[in-house]
Amino acid sequence: MKRLLVFLLSSLMAVVLLTGCGSDQATNGAGEAKDIAAIKDHGVLKVGVKVDVPKFGFKDPQTNKIDGLEIDIARAVAQKIFGDPSKIEVQGVTAKTRGPLLDNGEIDLVIATFTITEERKQSYNFSEPYFVDGVRMMVKKNAGIQSIKDLNGKKIGVAQSATTRKVIQDETDKAGVKVEFLEFGTYPEIKTALDAGRVNVFSVDGAILAGYLDDSTVILDDKFATQQYGIASKKSNTALAKLVDETIAEMKKSGELDKLIKKWGIR
Amino acid sequence: MPGPFAAFKWAALGRDWTVFAGGFAHTILVSFLALVLALLLGIIFGVLASSKQKGFRTISRIYVEIIQNTPLVIQVFFLYHALPHLGILLPTFTVGVLGVGVYHGAYMSEAVRAGVEAIPRGQLEAAYSQGFKFWSAMRYIILPQAKRLAVPTMTNQAVSLIKNTSVLAMIAGGELMYHADSWASNSLYYGPAYIVTGILYLVICMPLALYARRLEEQMEVQA
Repeated sequence: MKRLLVFLLSSLMAVVLLTGCGSDQATNGAGEAKDIAAIKDHGVLKVGVKVDVPKFGFKDPQTNKIDGLEIDIARAVAQKIFGDPSKIEVQGVTAKTRGPLLDNGEIDLVIATFTITEERKQSYNFSEPYFVDGVRMMVKKNAGIQSIKDLNGKKIGVAQSATTRKVIQDETDKAGVKVEFLEFGTYPEIKTALDAGRVNVFSVDGAILAGYLDDSTVILDDKFATQQYGIASKKSNTALAKLVDETIAEMKKSGELDKLIKKWGIR
Repeated sequence: MPGPFAAFKWAALGRDWTVFAGGFAHTILVSFLALVLALLLGIIFGVLASSKQKGFRTISRIYVEIIQNTPLVIQVFFLYHALPHLGILLPTFTVGVLGVGVYHGAYMSEAVRAGVEAIPRGQLEAAYSQGFKFWSAMRYIILPQAKRLAVPTMTNQAVSLIKNTSVLAMIAGGELMYHADSWASNSLYYGPAYIVTGILYLVICMPLALYARRLEEQMEVQA
């Protein structure tokens, strides 16, 4: 028994030490533009996108193709790196997987309705925002909820990513109502919970919410705290972050970004 | 040093330790109640499976086959998302205890059945000849002997049960895994979050697993 414990503890230490060294090397080894050279070597830009947010990043169940505003932005970045917008490889991510996938190099960029916060900037590079939205709330039509004041004692379903929860918490505190939060991994799960009556409110950024609107539900007029979506990259990939930032700036200046937002029918 | 295991991320976890402590306590409570339920179901259906009446055996068989051959996640989703549409809105806590308890009850029942069937038929007949009825013969003669064989398996099931409460994270269950997921995706400090969570599960499961190992060894000595 003692030997087993010693073995377990030592293997745990070995794991921690190894991963520690791994991240050390990544920091020291990343010279100027080395990260971009690595992407060019690989021949394709690997991007993590949402697959459950209609108009932003959505996998069409009929064709199995992932498309949306964020995939078009990924194409623009690929154009900048390779001179060829088709050299992208998209992969579905969730709030839970996008961080680890960036850190282990599985993907180069995350363009997945990723809200920029000061706390997150400590862990990843963020580009300037390509889209600005606000947090909104969806309820069932027959629930009798008109505004945030009617939320006392209600359950709010949010996705496992900080911003919605914190925003609604601040707003309900201001309005003097008490609510309870339930966090889910994906948006369809929150919608299912709303349909089942597990939660009274489905709350997330307005543009995402619009994709889930149906006959039995309604989106309230209340709109809170602006959410800025940025493109995230691994902290050590500084040259890549700079290039992405420039791409967004150029797209804004040329009006291309506005054109894309209009193309996808996002307000 | 950036990276998933940066020192400031560990420090943030240290500040928020109550989140993990609360989830840990919740996991222990759900596990305990689910374990009680699983033991009860296991004994009842295990004994029914060795009954002489075909009807009882069939009921036990149906329970075991349906539960063992569908994933726990589906069963929990059914209790959580589907039952409300039929007008039954169980609290999330109840869904957790019921889902995990019923699931492992099926495995416990198989362990009990194996234990009972290993006891020679003559034991039950001898009990009958002394005037025992079926259930009292089970209670005083058969089960005490079957216990020796069944308990190591059942202890291993208890370990699985504790780990499987982590499935409740998917239905906002409020246990350890849910809070770990929530904290990790809010702060993006997933490195420390999941290491600590893993260690916490290890802390409850390993003593139980070692206990099961010891029981097995004792049985070998006796046999």
